[in-house]
Amino acid sequence: MLTEALEDISVASSKVTDLPVIHIGMATCGLASGARPLLELIRKEVEKRQLNLRIIPTGCIGMCHNEPLVDVTMPGRYRVSYRNVKAMTLTQIFDAHFSKNDFAKKYATCQIPVEGAEPYEGLTLMADLPFFKGQVKIVTKRCGMIDPLSIADYVAMDGYKALRKVLTSMTPEQVVDEVTKSGLRGRGGGGFPTGLKWALTQKSPGPEKYVVCNADEGDPGAFMDRSVLEGDPHAVLEGMIIAAFAVGHAKQGYIYCRAEYPLAIKHLRKAIDDARAHNFLGENILGTDMSFDIEIKEGAGAYVCGEETALLASLMGERGMPWPKPPFPAQKGVWGKPSVINNVETLGNIGHILLNGGEWYASYGSEKTKGTKTFALTGSVKNSGLIEVPAGTPLREIIFSIGGGMVEKKIPFKAAQLGGPSGGCIPVDGLDTPVDFENVVAAGAIMGSGGIVVMDEAACIVDTAKFFLKFTQDESCGECTPCRVGSKIMLDILTRITDGKGQEGDLDELVRLSMYVKSNSLCGLGGAAPNPVLSTIRYFREEYEAHIRDKRCPGTVCNELIKYVVIEEDCTTCGLCEPVCPSGSVTWEKGEVAHIDLTTCIRCKACVDACKFRAII
Amino acid sequence: MAETKHVEVDLEDIEKICEEFENREGAVVQVLQKVQEKYGYVPGEALELVGEVLEIPKSKMYGVLTFYSQFYQEPRGKFILKVCVGTACHVRGAGLLVDKVREELHIEPGENTEDMLFTLEPVACLGSCALAPMAMVSGTAYGKLSADKMVSLIRQLEEETVHEEETV
Repeated sequence: MLTEALEDISVASSKVTDLPVIHIGMATCGLASGARPLLELIRKEVEKRQLNLRIIPTGCIGMCHNEPLVDVTMPGRYRVSYRNVKAMTLTQIFDAHFSKNDFAKKYATCQIPVEGAEPYEGLTLMADLPFFKGQVKIVTKRCGMIDPLSIADYVAMDGYKALRKVLTSMTPEQVVDEVTKSGLRGRGGGGFPTGLKWALTQKSPGPEKYVVCNADEGDPGAFMDRSVLEGDPHAVLEGMIIAAFAVGHAKQGYIYCRAEYPLAIKHLRKAIDDARAHNFLGENILGTDMSFDIEIKEGAGAYVCGEETALLASLMGERGMPWPKPPFPAQKGVWGKPSVINNVETLGNIGHILLNGGEWYASYGSEKTKGTKTFALTGSVKNSGLIEVPAGTPLREIIFSIGGGMVEKKIPFKAAQLGGPSGGCIPVDGLDTPVDFENVVAAGAIMGSGGIVVMDEAACIVDTAKFFLKFTQDESCGECTPCRVGSKIMLDILTRITDGKGQEGDLDELVRLSMYVKSNSLCGLGGAAPNPVLSTIRYFREEYEAHIRDKRCPGTVCNELIKYVVIEEDCTTCGLCEPVCPSGSVTWEKGEVAHIDLTTCIRCKACVDACKFRAII
Repeated sequence: MAETKHVEVDLEDIEKICEEFENREGAVVQVLQKVQEKYGYVPGEALELVGEVLEIPKSKMYGVLTFYSQFYQEPRGKFILKVCVGTACHVRGAGLLVDKVREELHIEPGENTEDMLFTLEPVACLGSCALAPMAMVSGTAYGKLSADKMVSLIRQLEEETVHEEETV
């Protein structure tokens, strides 16, 4: 029974196939770049040419900046990847592969090895691209490679193998030991050792226990969990089933997923149905005496529900407000019973750890943070997307080697924001910080769940701090005063500063309030809310002072502090700026230098963008 | 903002939804999600009925409803323009998109147009930061937007509606 279930569905997806295969990236980022109409075009093209092939929609391979991505694998050859594919390029790609037995050199990005197949000449391997070179893919190994809706594809890439190993040859104690040995720590940002969490839940008395997957990825600028859920949903299920076994035969699991991720929820539902059909979920899993099932609970839009006790409250139909710990969820969780709560990425790692051993996982990473970490690399960086690197990789390597540096060559790097609303900014001097739990905290930010937003000199630090504080202020559940009122007063001060009404002493007051809110809030949301403010004051005090004393915004972001002027020496009197002004504030006569009337200017920046000579600042 | 017209709520429908979740008190969030799926928002009458069926006091029902930002107490437009104002979108000019919609449709965030076609809803993060700034309408994501593209999207949705009405 056990082996049957696995052999039953053995389709070789990464091995040599008889039919040509076309993979198309259909995760949210692919869809937003037009993958759906492109899929229609591919179907039409296939029909027109009367080709016999398989079209496989995949999850996200990480190169979001290159979407839509289309890969073509001919029988016996390596898989060729094409980026930013449009209708025009599609015809040429088809011509090259299906008429000329070649690949479309002009549009190909790289090739991906296929076991037992021949490579193409003159095309870089994916692993050699700068974007992939520093990466080690464990939890995202299958993302973008398999059809996330196919359990057969998952099984073909070692899926559910770890579960079989656990159920047939290990005791719950051995599983916990292996996870402890791996050094895996909570990937949602908390960094609590996963093995210890499991051990605590295991030791809690009582026959009724629960496993909860925290998929309420709420940090703005973070989409690691979305990518894993959309691209490899079975990996999360497998992690949960193993967790259920390890903590002492939990019968029921919940996935709490934010409703903003409709595609992730769709993929999870299909994965759960398929897992049930193949007896990886349900009664007597794989013929053993273990029974376990999973239910999806959709969030309803509350950031604080990412905090574990708030999540549990929400799961049980209450207002999603955190409760003071202890009791910890390992003692009293869902319905008052011992529960283990792990983040998506943490659970995604479990199968790999049990299959390859804890020591193997611990061989990656830094001294105190073992293994790999995924990051959502975004902002003013050239290659934005999803990456996975060994913990401890220096920030410089992430941004400049993998990320390819700044998107606008002329505008230099200013800071990187790590850890979202609970994190902070790291300036140029901190670029050599190894990115792991401890070192990033020492640099004034947190590694968090893995959002890295890169900012260039055109960004305003004060505005960014205000942005995050406004976010936490909106999302404060209102339960405790320091967070509810303290963050509001801080936001008022920041708003005053960006409106050009800042006063001497505002910075000291901000720091004082920050310390107060930090030490007196009930949960992590309030405790970390002042971090963006504190870290920016620490590194960019001068920029705050420019706003307060000189009423100037060096990044030209804060509307009230912007005064656009035409630099006479640089103006070529071309007149391009005049017609684009929506408020009629730009006046220009042929042969004359343009002029901007600041009393009517709405600071929309249209004239700045229109000027080809950078004569308006 | 348009005058709101509330829908009629049928007790049988509510009972059916509650039964789907075995009238469990703990499933109240999911029940309300189903109610909203059916009516487009949570009508006051429906909230009371759910409370009665699940035996939850009105005060608690109201507490749950108002805690979560995705529950609405008023009817909403046919197209919800979810404009992402998360970090990456923010640094790439999401504010300009919101301003453009306000200017174009004369509605503030959270409001509906008079014809009940559009609702403007800035949201925290849709998780497609690499394609910032982006927006989502009826589950479809639109990446790398500009103020102009936003306007064409609105026009396109308007035309589709007119076209639909003509064919009906």
